[in-house]
Amino acid sequence: MADLVNQTPAQLLSREMGMTEQSVERRKRIVGLTAQDLERIAAIRDLVHAHIEEYTAVFFDYLAALDEGRPVLTNRSVAERARQLKREHLIAMVQSDYGTAYIAQRLELAMLYSKAGLDLRVFLAAFHHLLKNIGVTIMKHFEHTPMEGFETFMSLKKVAFFDIGVIVDVMVFERERVIRQQQDSIRELSTPVLQLRERLLLLPIIGVIDTHRARLVTESLLRSIRANRAKVVVMDVTGVATIDSKVANHVIQTITAAKLMGATVIVTGLSAEVAQSLVVLGIDLAKLNTVGDLQGGLEEAELLLGYQLVRGEHRMSRAPSAET
Amino acid sequence: MSVPILKQGDILIASIQAALSDRDLVDLRDELASRVGRLRSRGVVIDVTALDVLDSFATRTIRGIAYTAKLRGADAVVVGIQPDVAFAMVQLGLTLEGIPTALDLEEGLVLLRARKADRDHGK
Repeated sequence: MADLVNQTPAQLLSREMGMTEQSVERRKRIVGLTAQDLERIAAIRDLVHAHIEEYTAVFFDYLAALDEGRPVLTNRSVAERARQLKREHLIAMVQSDYGTAYIAQRLELAMLYSKAGLDLRVFLAAFHHLLKNIGVTIMKHFEHTPMEGFETFMSLKKVAFFDIGVIVDVMVFERERVIRQQQDSIRELSTPVLQLRERLLLLPIIGVIDTHRARLVTESLLRSIRANRAKVVVMDVTGVATIDSKVANHVIQTITAAKLMGATVIVTGLSAEVAQSLVVLGIDLAKLNTVGDLQGGLEEAELLLGYQLVRGEHRMSRAPSAET
Repeated sequence: MSVPILKQGDILIASIQAALSDRDLVDLRDELASRVGRLRSRGVVIDVTALDVLDSFATRTIRGIAYTAKLRGADAVVVGIQPDVAFAMVQLGLTLEGIPTALDLEEGLVLLRARKADRDHGK
C-alpha cells in the first residue's frame, strides 16, 4: 500500500487506464512498429537531436497562432513545463525504446494538456505541423535517395501515431472521469431507507439496479431493519424499468435475509415488463410477497402491524389560516 | 463453553454469548430438550445476537433444537441474527425452514406470547 501513496499522478493514471507492458506491446503492434522501423529511426537520431529546439518552437508557435491553443501558453509555469516535456518527447521519440517509461512521459504531457483544457483538434494540428517540419529535415538529408527518406519518415510516423493514440486515450479518459464520478454519486445517493411509521420502513428503488447497487440496497436495508427495529418493509420498485436474473436473485436473497431478522418485506409496483421478465427467467416467486401499488402495499403493511386508519375531522375544509 | 439457560415464566431463554464449538451446540440441544420437559416450558428463545458467524452445522443444530422443542410441546424462536450473518446464510443456502425468527429477545417474547394466545383461543 505504501507505494500507492508515493506514486506520481502519471503512474496512478497509467494504473487506472490499465497500461501494462502487454497493452503497450499491443499498441505497438496496432501501429505496426517493427524492428526495421527502429533501425531506420536510429539512423536519423542525431539528425533530429540537432534540431530539437527548432521543432519545439515550431510546435508552440503553431499553438500560439490559434485562439484555441492559448490555454497551454497563458500560464507561464504550465507553458515552461510543456516545453520541457516536448523537448524530452522529441529526444525520446528517436531513442527506439518505446516501453512503459516512454508511456509514462506521454501520460504526463497528456495530463498537462488535459488539465489546461487544450482542444484535441488544435493539438493534432500542431503535432502534424511539427511532423511536417521533421519530414522536411529528413527529406533534405536523403536528397539523393528520396525513397529511403520517405520510408524513414513513415517509420517515425508510426511512432507519432503511437503517441497520438496514447494522448487521445488520456484526454478522453479524463473527460469521462466527470461522468464516472457523477454515476458513482448517483448510485450512492439512490438507496435511501425511510421510516414511515414505527416499525415500518419504505425502500423506494428508482432507476437501473446493477449488481453493485443491489448490494448497497441490501446492506442499507438490513442495517436499517436492525437500527429502526422494523417489522415490515415496503420495497417499491415502480421506478425500476428492467431487472436481470442476477439482480432478481439478489433481491430475493435480501428478502429472505430480512425474514431471518424477523422482518416481512412487501414488494410493490412491479411493472408489467419486470413481472414478465421475472416469470420468463423462472425466478422462484413463492417467497415474494407482492402488492400491486405502493398504496396497497402500505395498507397491507399497516394491517400486518395492527394499525387501523380512521378518518378524523376533515381539516382541508377549514379555511387555510395562512391565507386569512 | 456452556450456554446459560434462563427461565422466565414458562419460557426458556438460551443466550449464546460466544462462538460455540460443535460439541457445545450438541450439549445445548440436549440440555434444552431435557429442561423443556422438566420445567414444563411452553416456549424457547434462542438468542444468537453475539454470533458473527452461523455455519451449516450451527444452522442445522439450531433447527434441530427448535424441532426437538416443538416435539416436547414448546414453540421455539430464533432471535438476533445480525444483518451480515443473515445475508451470508442466504447466500450459502442455509435456511431455518419453518422456524420463526425475530429481531431481538423482546420481539421473540412478544411472538411467543402471541402464539400462546392463539393456542389458548383454540386457533
